[in-house]
Amino acid sequence: MPAKDIYAWPPKLFPSPGTIDNYIKIFNSSPELLRYILNSTIIAVFTTVTIILFGGLAAYALVRIKFRGSFSIMLGMLGVSMFPNIAILPAIFIVFKNLNLINSYPSLIIAHTGLFITMAIWILANYIRTIPFEIEDAAKIDGCGPFDIFWRIILPLSKPGIFATSLIVFIFSWNEFPLSLVLLHDNDMRTAPVGISLYPGEYSFPWETISTATFLSIIPVLIITGIFQKQIIGGLTSGSNK
Amino acid sequence: MQLDYFKLHRNTRIGYLFVLPSLLVVIFVLVYPVIQAFLYSLKPEYSENSEWSFENYANLISDDRFVESFNNTLIFTFFTIPAELIFGLVIAVLLNKEFKFRGIVRVAILFPWALPTALNAIMWRWMFNTEFGIINYGLISIGLIENQLNWLGKEPLAMIAMMSVSTWKTSSFMALLLLAGLQTIPKDLYESAKTDGASDLKSFFYITLPLLTPAIIVSLLLRTMDALRVFELPFNFTDGGPLNTTETISLYSYRVLFEFVEFNYGSSMVIVQFILIMIMSLIYIKSIKNIDY
Repeated sequence: MPAKDIYAWPPKLFPSPGTIDNYIKIFNSSPELLRYILNSTIIAVFTTVTIILFGGLAAYALVRIKFRGSFSIMLGMLGVSMFPNIAILPAIFIVFKNLNLINSYPSLIIAHTGLFITMAIWILANYIRTIPFEIEDAAKIDGCGPFDIFWRIILPLSKPGIFATSLIVFIFSWNEFPLSLVLLHDNDMRTAPVGISLYPGEYSFPWETISTATFLSIIPVLIITGIFQKQIIGGLTSGSNK
Repeated sequence: MQLDYFKLHRNTRIGYLFVLPSLLVVIFVLVYPVIQAFLYSLKPEYSENSEWSFENYANLISDDRFVESFNNTLIFTFFTIPAELIFGLVIAVLLNKEFKFRGIVRVAILFPWALPTALNAIMWRWMFNTEFGIINYGLISIGLIENQLNWLGKEPLAMIAMMSVSTWKTSSFMALLLLAGLQTIPKDLYESAKTDGASDLKSFFYITLPLLTPAIIVSLLLRTMDALRVFELPFNFTDGGPLNTTETISLYSYRVLFEFVEFNYGSSMVIVQFILIMIMSLIYIKSIKNIDY
């Protein structure tokens, strides 16, 4: 949006064209904005992959392998998922500080994994439940071990569930704020939401840069939700009716 | 029998092996930090040899700023949640009807949920701007107000603005959860009600609402927990101002922890918030159990 439109009175709902200028300008004048988006992408991608691997294994075991304590673990996971994220801030900051991991990607990836994995297990478990037992039994007769069954049968068959869960986890990780703010506080390491919200100085608030940057960093999320809305809605609501 | 016992044993081992990675992450990221925060909160200052005491908790009660942030959080929650429920319910009922472009409308409904709250709050801050904001312009042009309102700088206005932004952002999520509940209600219930001569309004109150109650409670539970820990909205929308009237527990504890660097005092705040959220969740969960189908 050009500056003259931003400070226009009456405000313009639809800014005039020629706004590409701003995008070129923003990358020349504030290259850190690209860096924020890159950071967010790295964090969200690694978080999503870890959650699908760990969470998929756990969901399969909790739903399909009958073992003592599986129900209590499921309930416990649901319970801890209610913990407020601010409550974990002080201790997790100290732990990562002692491990020298503040301002490094692994700290936030681990934190996000812990934060969102319970929800992912819940959604994945609901999908895995719908896979017929017969397929699994046939594989067992053929001599497949539990890990083979998970890798060759459960994972491929729960593709829609995995896909939906990945999208939701990606969006959650991309949007997460308090932990990103505390764990990655170096300007170079900030994620997009944190970097952009801390971008302005005290007195001059560069609205045109902010709005352009904001738009750039919500594009990935908007594209994902626009194309895959059915899967996301399916995933989000799969747990609420059980 | 021998074989069955053996099999159960083996399954238990594999089961735990599969659950272990997730369990470790959850314990490391969620369980341990909460216990640790509780331990921090029992020491007056951050050092090895300070004594255990409840001093921090005693100080909380006399800390006016904390009491105010506590009240702000409760006020925010108690006004936004019912508003979201009403909007969510209306949207869900409308979306449950067959109509053209339903797919497009559903995407539009999903967008507010998918936007990063922090950036969304910044955009709204601009729209609520006194001189250049579209909100003032809109209100003046339809004649509701005469002069530009200082939304984010006046006492009740800032809180009202923050509540409206939150309601806008999350009603659609509420609607999605409720819509999933609506779709599990058998259609023939409505048809037989119609043949019995029940009006639409009547079947809403006698069929939809009772059958939707579990879904309503689940979505209220999720949203209440979120509202009680709201952080990035006040952080980016009002910065807690004016005069801390929009400062929530989360925002104040963040400041105490990382700006005033009083780790132990800040830990007692997050523990109070933790207990508050757990009590609220238990009330909801109990009320789900009390419903008989």
